[in-house]
Amino acid sequence: MAKKSVVEPVLSAEQLSKEFKEYSIAEFFKRNRQMLGYTGKLRSLTTVVHEFVCNSLDACEDNGVLPELLVEIKELANGHFWIAVEDNGTGIPKKNVGQAFGKLLAGTKFMSRKQKRGQQGLGGSYCVLFSQITTGKETHVKTGIGDHKIYDCDISIDVNKNEPVMHNEAETSGKFKGTRVEIELAEVEYNRSTYGAFEYLRRTALANPHTQITLIEPNQEITVFPRATTKIPARPKESLPHPLGLTTSDLMDMVGKSDARKISSMLQNEFSRVSADKVKELSIMCPGVDFERAPKYLQWAEAEKIVLAVHKVKWIAPETDSIIPIGKDQLEKSLKNLLQPEDLRIVERPPKVFRGGIPFSVEAAIAYGGKAGASGSQSTENGVIMGKGEGLRFANRVPLLFDAGADAITEAIKTIDWARYDLKNWEEMPVTMFVNFTSVFVPYTGAGKLAIAQEEEIVAEIRYALMECARGVATFIHNLKRAEEQEQRRTLFFRYIGEISQALSEITGKEQLVLETKLRKIAEKRTAIAEASDEKELEELEKLEKAAQKEMKDSGEEDE
Amino acid sequence: MAEKAKKYDKQALKESREEIAKKIYDLSMQLLGQIDKEDNPSIAIPVRGSRNVEFDKESKKIVLGEKIAHRYLFNVGHARKFMQTMLVASYVKKDLLDQNLTATLRDLYYAKKRTIAGTKEETIDEQKESDLAIVDFEVALDTFREKLHLRAEPKGRIAGDMIVTDRVREKVDTIDLSHMGSGGWAVPSIVEQIEFKDVGAEYVLVAEKNALFDRLNEDEYWKKNKCMIMSTAGQAARGARRFLQRLNDELKLPVYILTDADPYGWYIYSTMKYGSMALAHESDRLGCPNAHFIGMSISDIEHYDLRSVTIKAKDVDIKRAEEMKEYEWFKQKEWQVEINKFLEKKIKAEIQALSSKSLQYVSKVYLPEKIKSQDFLP
Repeated sequence: MAKKSVVEPVLSAEQLSKEFKEYSIAEFFKRNRQMLGYTGKLRSLTTVVHEFVCNSLDACEDNGVLPELLVEIKELANGHFWIAVEDNGTGIPKKNVGQAFGKLLAGTKFMSRKQKRGQQGLGGSYCVLFSQITTGKETHVKTGIGDHKIYDCDISIDVNKNEPVMHNEAETSGKFKGTRVEIELAEVEYNRSTYGAFEYLRRTALANPHTQITLIEPNQEITVFPRATTKIPARPKESLPHPLGLTTSDLMDMVGKSDARKISSMLQNEFSRVSADKVKELSIMCPGVDFERAPKYLQWAEAEKIVLAVHKVKWIAPETDSIIPIGKDQLEKSLKNLLQPEDLRIVERPPKVFRGGIPFSVEAAIAYGGKAGASGSQSTENGVIMGKGEGLRFANRVPLLFDAGADAITEAIKTIDWARYDLKNWEEMPVTMFVNFTSVFVPYTGAGKLAIAQEEEIVAEIRYALMECARGVATFIHNLKRAEEQEQRRTLFFRYIGEISQALSEITGKEQLVLETKLRKIAEKRTAIAEASDEKELEELEKLEKAAQKEMKDSGEEDE
Repeated sequence: MAEKAKKYDKQALKESREEIAKKIYDLSMQLLGQIDKEDNPSIAIPVRGSRNVEFDKESKKIVLGEKIAHRYLFNVGHARKFMQTMLVASYVKKDLLDQNLTATLRDLYYAKKRTIAGTKEETIDEQKESDLAIVDFEVALDTFREKLHLRAEPKGRIAGDMIVTDRVREKVDTIDLSHMGSGGWAVPSIVEQIEFKDVGAEYVLVAEKNALFDRLNEDEYWKKNKCMIMSTAGQAARGARRFLQRLNDELKLPVYILTDADPYGWYIYSTMKYGSMALAHESDRLGCPNAHFIGMSISDIEHYDLRSVTIKAKDVDIKRAEEMKEYEWFKQKEWQVEINKFLEKKIKAEIQALSSKSLQYVSKVYLPEKIKSQDFLP
């Protein structure tokens, strides 16, 4: 019997055009969740927690309050997980709730050149979408801006239109300022391993010492990550872009939006470090471009000329008060609080620029001993818990948990010769390495905000910071070893003092105990002194003795 | 029998024991002094080994150089050895000298081997450690172990026309070395206490091998030639060497040494005569600088036509010969000639090779000829 062949009908152009659809952003990310950090069950849950926590922290800091966060994770009977994140921040005005949670790529943070946690305006909304796709449920939002009104609603996203859908809206009176989000997820998992939410929150607490985070886990266990300081970090100033970071398309965008009446004044007012003299310099280098014209008349070719000229001119480095790192004191309090290390070195590098004009700064710390080292995987050695070395990465105080391989911090750590600092096996030692990268613009490797791109200037700064820390720790470890050795020597001498004092007593008739006490006293004194001169003499003596021994053996002189 | 004996003062011997005991006591008091001053107690020990050894051409002895090493208590590398040296000191003084007993090195090892209180460590792990500590100690005291009442293994036999007295603690025995039967008298490990009573022998013949002793004994060589015969059974033991020295030094008896014709035999000769580098500190008490080498030499092989009974030299022989050629005390022309001949021909021969001529050739021809013509190597 002849097989029935199934042949696809050849479509005409008209038919094809009917098939042609336009996908919305929402549709795109619905199908590509991994791009936003939703890879694997465990990480997906952590990412949701991360998004809401970031929003909460930003909201609290905007409000100038010490953040108090509550994170609840419950496992439901049907295998789904229920998460609640509550904060005491600014709250969200009713009219903005939809945009905040129901529309992708919308938000207040998108265009500002300010150091912030969230960058793309995907975060919260994508969580809602994720919940939707995996459970079909809506997300519950409760928020209050401090006007005695509390607003509740259930929200979801219309995927085709990328618009919020709100149900069960209610407005009640009451005292609540902040935001609470409740969300149900499926295809997720929770445990306490390195990529889980617990570790994420622990690290968040480390980098944000002014925060207090309470976590309630599925097993009902309550963990509080207490704040280490009541000092709220200063709000970073919004900075004007530096001309060196400008590309032609950036400039074209700006002229389209600018209010300035002349190109020259636009350059002076909307960029940092551009003075009237500099504008003159630029215009001399761009003959044919009229800087007195209104910006909207600028042509692409002309914009290109200006950008090229910018790179030929000498500029003052950008202002750096738009970057607020955690700070040495704060970091010290935080790390001491949570890790109780035996030694702690912190280095805050002065601000630098990358890509020509984007300011950034690196701060690093290395903690040794105490509770330092990965808490998740604790191995024991003779019953003593040995921390294993962990490297903690942060960007704008947000922990980066995934994609370590591609990260600038990982790269920096890899290229350092740890052996020089007595840290050759740091991964087997109770060591915590902490690096925080602060900038107005974090060059993430992907939309999921998982890793910092390995830009040359950035990697270099991280290396300097870590090596400086390592030098300090190396001294500490060296002194530890010295003390150990001293202890060993003391023990060694004490072992023999008994025998020697007995022998001397037998020969001379003097009291053994008296001799022993005297010898012990000398032993205590002597082991405290560095006996460097002994080493050489000892070597000499050993060499001579070995030679003598060998000869005795060779010539058969050894007695039976 | 001619009386050439030199009488030893019993008192002097006793004093020797007391003298040594006092030396140990003084050394210990010195350490106590250092301890009182809170210094790092130390024992000064001349360094042994080829790096601190010289050949004194005048006295013809290998002697210890000037290098002194200080062994400190409070020094991580020295502490254990310091302790072991003190154990030796205490044992020698308290258990041996004060009790007038002698012990072997092994006895000391067992006596002082124990676990240190409160640790898992032993005072002495292997006998090698305590042996070295003994050498350290005897050198530090500028004496030798026999005076410390420490005995090595006895080795070697002697027979001949001589009467001696020997002592075991307080008991004195008279030994007639001409009536020691087929075995000869075993040379004791400590010979300090031996007194020479009646001496009829006129020289001493020392052989490397027991086989030769038996040969000469059976042929009544010592009787006919008025000499002592002694075998060392390989490398001479301390007792034998000291005895030889005393025979030469006190009785003024010439000493002739007979070994195989190979570098090892020649080395045995040189040790008996000059001492050795490893034990250079003892060449004073154990060396016999006036000893002569009768044979066998490579020249002998030629002269006595023994080529057919020679053995091909091994690599180890060649190597040793090359080393010996550089020793200061083999630099004499005659020895250089011999060693070069050996290196050139690469053959060696045992003494027994002389039996190829006839069994009694060595007693009847070889030795008498050599001694009569004084055909020796220096």
